[in-house]
Amino acid sequence: MSDRARKPLPKPAPESVPYWEATKRHQLELPKCNACGKFWFPPSKSCPNCLAADFDFKPVSGRGKVYSFVTFHRVYHPAFAGEVPYVVAIVELEEGPRLLSNIIGIKPDAVKCEMPVKVVFDDVAENVSVPKFTPA
Amino acid sequence: MIEPSRELRDACAIVGTGHSRLGRVPGVSSLDLLVEAMRNAIADSGINVKDIDGIVCRGPDDIYSHHQQIGARLGINVKFSTSLDNGGASQILAVAIASMAIKAGMASTVICGYGRDSWSRTHSSEEARVKNQTTPDDQLPKEFAPEYGYFGAVAAHAFGATRHMHLYGTTRDQFGEIAVACREHALRNPDAQMKKPLSIAQYHEAPQIVSPFGLYDCSLRSDGAGAVIVTSSERARDLRQPPVLIKGFGSFNNLRGWFNDDNMVVTAAKKSGEIAYAMAGVGPDDVDTAQIYDCFTYMVLTQLEDYGFCKKGEGGDFVASGALRMGGRLPTNTSGGQLSEAHVEGMLQVVEGARQMRHTYPADRQVKDAEIALVSGHGGNQVCHSTLILGRA
Ligand SMILES: [Zn+2]
Repeated sequence: MSDRARKPLPKPAPESVPYWEATKRHQLELPKCNACGKFWFPPSKSCPNCLAADFDFKPVSGRGKVYSFVTFHRVYHPAFAGEVPYVVAIVELEEGPRLLSNIIGIKPDAVKCEMPVKVVFDDVAENVSVPKFTPA
Repeated sequence: MIEPSRELRDACAIVGTGHSRLGRVPGVSSLDLLVEAMRNAIADSGINVKDIDGIVCRGPDDIYSHHQQIGARLGINVKFSTSLDNGGASQILAVAIASMAIKAGMASTVICGYGRDSWSRTHSSEEARVKNQTTPDDQLPKEFAPEYGYFGAVAAHAFGATRHMHLYGTTRDQFGEIAVACREHALRNPDAQMKKPLSIAQYHEAPQIVSPFGLYDCSLRSDGAGAVIVTSSERARDLRQPPVLIKGFGSFNNLRGWFNDDNMVVTAAKKSGEIAYAMAGVGPDDVDTAQIYDCFTYMVLTQLEDYGFCKKGEGGDFVASGALRMGGRLPTNTSGGQLSEAHVEGMLQVVEGARQMRHTYPADRQVKDAEIALVSGHGGNQVCHSTLILGRA
């Protein structure tokens, strides 16, 4: 398979390495502040709520709801030619942070804002697993 | 809220406007397109280029030291010079910074502008479109986006449209009215890129790109540039053109992100507008024409709400009333906007706002008796916003 036909794999920034290590184990873990107790996303080295730098990656429930979504009809990357139409959504986790992901296991035109969803893991390559969401 | 300085109200004026050839202009770089627009603005103002002592400008994302290259082409050394990095919000910010520099005595006459060659170069291939203009590879998202097939500005803005439709029952018919109104305006503008009428039926029949956006919800690919010249209102009185007063400006930046809070539904236009209205001493009821940053139809609708032309959630009914058309409550994007004139990242809307205040258009293009124009700029990663309020002297 040519490079152009391969879906892009996430290339973790240094601060998101633990996130991708956890997804490899089919765990969704986000940075959680030890000072104010809040989760945040995307990962960074200090809490955007209180600026504390004391945090750990902690598991989240993997449950949330669709805040908003769009359906791709145009092929922007050749590897997605066979996927259109597909849904990209902003999922709001129960713990608060919002993640960009795909909604799978449902027809695109059945997806709705506020729909409850739960995480599933897509093993897209050896040692790479991408969290996606499906109706809860 | 800290009140903006009233000293800036009416302190400066736009005394020259210019645009380059628009649409498909092969064989001309964005820098030369911008110089073409600047030469037209200089000729329009009657100012000698050697009297320009400030440059604030911007171009495609892969051109560094933009203002230096423009200065070299204009053949001038200047007191004040910089290029901006707030996406589509930069062009109004350029006019604001020019006004502040003039008021501070850092410069007396500043030329502002933006040029791009999106049709001929930066968006000429599918690959270039995916890469979202000429953003260098190192700046593209490497995670939390491409692995999900999430690319481009269409999808980012479409999230806001979906959420607005969910919250307020906004419809594609209402988005379509924005596209159709812009096209109607463009047909009166001989320089506009789009030359054929657009019906609401054609809007609905066009292919979906990233739904809820179809083809006509999206702005154009264009080569082109726009420029304006700013000087003190005092100096403006002695110049060739009827001066257009800079009554107020503002900016706001929702840097927590487009996906966070309610930023995709209540945009940074709200707070940017409050600052600009306070500086200008006017409110939405005083505004006679609006030039709203229309990268996508939905963005016009939500900004009209954020600027207080109607309540949040009522933008659909507002546009459906025909408000944006000539003779409507608020003729909007009267040159055709980025949806139908040309997409020059909001610079042509600054130009059009100023020209409407001169009252020199033929009757069919002139917003009758217009005294106040509001111009908006929006961009970066959907989070930067700027507002300009112009008035007749
Ligand atoms: Zn914290």
